[in-house]
Amino acid sequence: MASELDRIVERQFSRRDLFRYAGIAAGAGVLAACKKATTTPSAGGSAAARPPVSQEPGNLQVFDWAGYGDGAYGDEVLWKGYKKQYPSEPPKFITFQEDPGFTKVAQGNAPYDIVHPCGYKFPDYVKLGVMQPWDTSKISNFSDLNPTLEKAGVIDGQQYFIVADWGFAAPMYRQDKVTPKEDSWSLLWDTRYKGRIAWEDSLNMFIVAAYFNGVDDPWNMTASEIADMKTFLITQKKAVSPQLWLDQTDIDQKFKSEDVYVGYAWPASWVVGEGNGLDLVYMQPKEGRTSWYCGFGLFKDTQNYYHAHDYVNAWMSPESALWLLNNYGYGHTNTKIDLSKADPATVKAFSLDDPTVLEEPTTHVERPIGDRPAYDAAWVEVKSA
Amino acid sequence: MTAGLLSPPLLWLLLFFLLPIAVVALYSVGKLQLFPTDTAVFSLEDWRKFLAGNSVYLGLFWKSMRVALTVAVVVVVLSYPIGYFLALAAGKRRYVLLLLIITPFLTSFLLRVLAWKVILGHSGVVSSALVWLNLRSPDQSISWLIYSQFSVMLVLVYVWVPFVALPIFVTLENLDRSLLEAAGDLGASRWRTFFRVTLPLSLPGLIAAFVFVFIPTIGEFVTPLLVGGSSGFLYGNAIRDLFESGLDWQTGSVLSLFLLGVVAVLTALFARFLRPDAVVRD
Repeated sequence: MASELDRIVERQFSRRDLFRYAGIAAGAGVLAACKKATTTPSAGGSAAARPPVSQEPGNLQVFDWAGYGDGAYGDEVLWKGYKKQYPSEPPKFITFQEDPGFTKVAQGNAPYDIVHPCGYKFPDYVKLGVMQPWDTSKISNFSDLNPTLEKAGVIDGQQYFIVADWGFAAPMYRQDKVTPKEDSWSLLWDTRYKGRIAWEDSLNMFIVAAYFNGVDDPWNMTASEIADMKTFLITQKKAVSPQLWLDQTDIDQKFKSEDVYVGYAWPASWVVGEGNGLDLVYMQPKEGRTSWYCGFGLFKDTQNYYHAHDYVNAWMSPESALWLLNNYGYGHTNTKIDLSKADPATVKAFSLDDPTVLEEPTTHVERPIGDRPAYDAAWVEVKSA
Repeated sequence: MTAGLLSPPLLWLLLFFLLPIAVVALYSVGKLQLFPTDTAVFSLEDWRKFLAGNSVYLGLFWKSMRVALTVAVVVVVLSYPIGYFLALAAGKRRYVLLLLIITPFLTSFLLRVLAWKVILGHSGVVSSALVWLNLRSPDQSISWLIYSQFSVMLVLVYVWVPFVALPIFVTLENLDRSLLEAAGDLGASRWRTFFRVTLPLSLPGLIAAFVFVFIPTIGEFVTPLLVGGSSGFLYGNAIRDLFESGLDWQTGSVLSLFLLGVVAVLTALFARFLRPDAVVRD
């Protein structure tokens, strides 16, 4: 039975998106994309010369976001199946953040087994030469995953990433304290709420500024467009003195302690805030929300090859998918999720019952940024100004 | 014999100080390649951009200098009475009191800084007290109280005061008391004795205290990260960002080396004031 969520995802990630994602995976333009779209990913990774699971150390080290298994929000449930399989070998979690996480890996300071970056970084990880493809035949839930989304994890014809979760980014605000003039990203620089606004400490602020200002392609801005957005953000920063958040727990605490009324937020912050009794609105701005997807990568030097596959298999179960939706408001690539068991308030808040919710121009799906170092440098300059 | 004793620390300095600086220097001119994105082509472009003021970083450096200077002056002014009281007025209890002043250091630095978030937060102790006293309405928050340059300076002052009271205390305690008695015998008032005898003699301690705060504060980044928001962002934060998330190690290296150079010059300048005979002239 195809679930509602499945339908949304299927509909969104079809046609031209398929080409686009294949393009992302190849990282080499349309020609490569066409070729990739017709290539079936190989099972990857040979089992030869690999010790059997019983001889693996079992000390699985997972480089993952806070609240993605480390128990910060009761989220051990996400790997319940793995716990059943290996009751005496709990994984160790090392907190991951997008850019610092990549730097750590690039420096060679991440001797872990699994990492969980987001889509626009997939090719960068593979380019570093530190990843190995998954053997999808060892992940029994793989056949239930949305094939179009999983294509985004295929690089050079191999399944380097198992795409697991997706969600939005949008302005979120306290309904009892804030009255937006209109549903727009501009709430993030509304001077009426000076000092009570939080921006993400990330170049993503350039993306939303660009959508707000009607830039043609916010993901591939020219040098002069980046410079314009930099000036724009510096002006807004000086006007509203925003707080900056680097991880979700930070923004959640800021909302809870009333230091923040308006913030750039992920759906999970809405769910946590509602749980804290806050009256929150997760906005659908007229310029569109952005959305992202992330997935698991396997390090080349792992000594826990089979453990890692079992861990990811547990994560990819319909039970984990349902938990992710009910507790964080995030989507999952498992298509066997039963939406009737999902929390109706969450489904409503993120319009998950609307089949067009992930389509342009309602939502802009994240894609690799052209000149990423230029965006990064410009963002540091915004903060420094 | 001396060489034998000195070689381990010298080796240490060479390996963990001079060598890393050389690596950073090479990186700053693009002579090293660590990431796939590095070009490894010799270029002074980043230095030129920085020094010509074509980037925001030089301005940020001056902002950090201003913050560090303000913090250092305020800390010295606040710590002096503490050191003075302990050394000259506290009598036998001085070491017990000294211990009490240092007590906060038994808790983690991070916890102490985070505690300020509770105090200064929009619904924190200060804001709530002002509302309770009817000095402000609950809807109007004081935006500069937290996540601002003010909060960064306040927390830095708090962190440094007990530290800095120590060198001042030591200088004053070593003061030759007979000089104070002589001033009294010669008819000088208490204020006059303080300004003409005590203060000049304690200047080395004061300058040491000032340097103690000023120099590390120029590169400070943890406190701004926790209570600075976007307006309390300092030079040290830019360096951290360039290395950690910006992945622009070349610019980061330029900024780091420049800071190191400035600190070295300042230390050399201040060093001559740290000798009592250089300060007190007859």
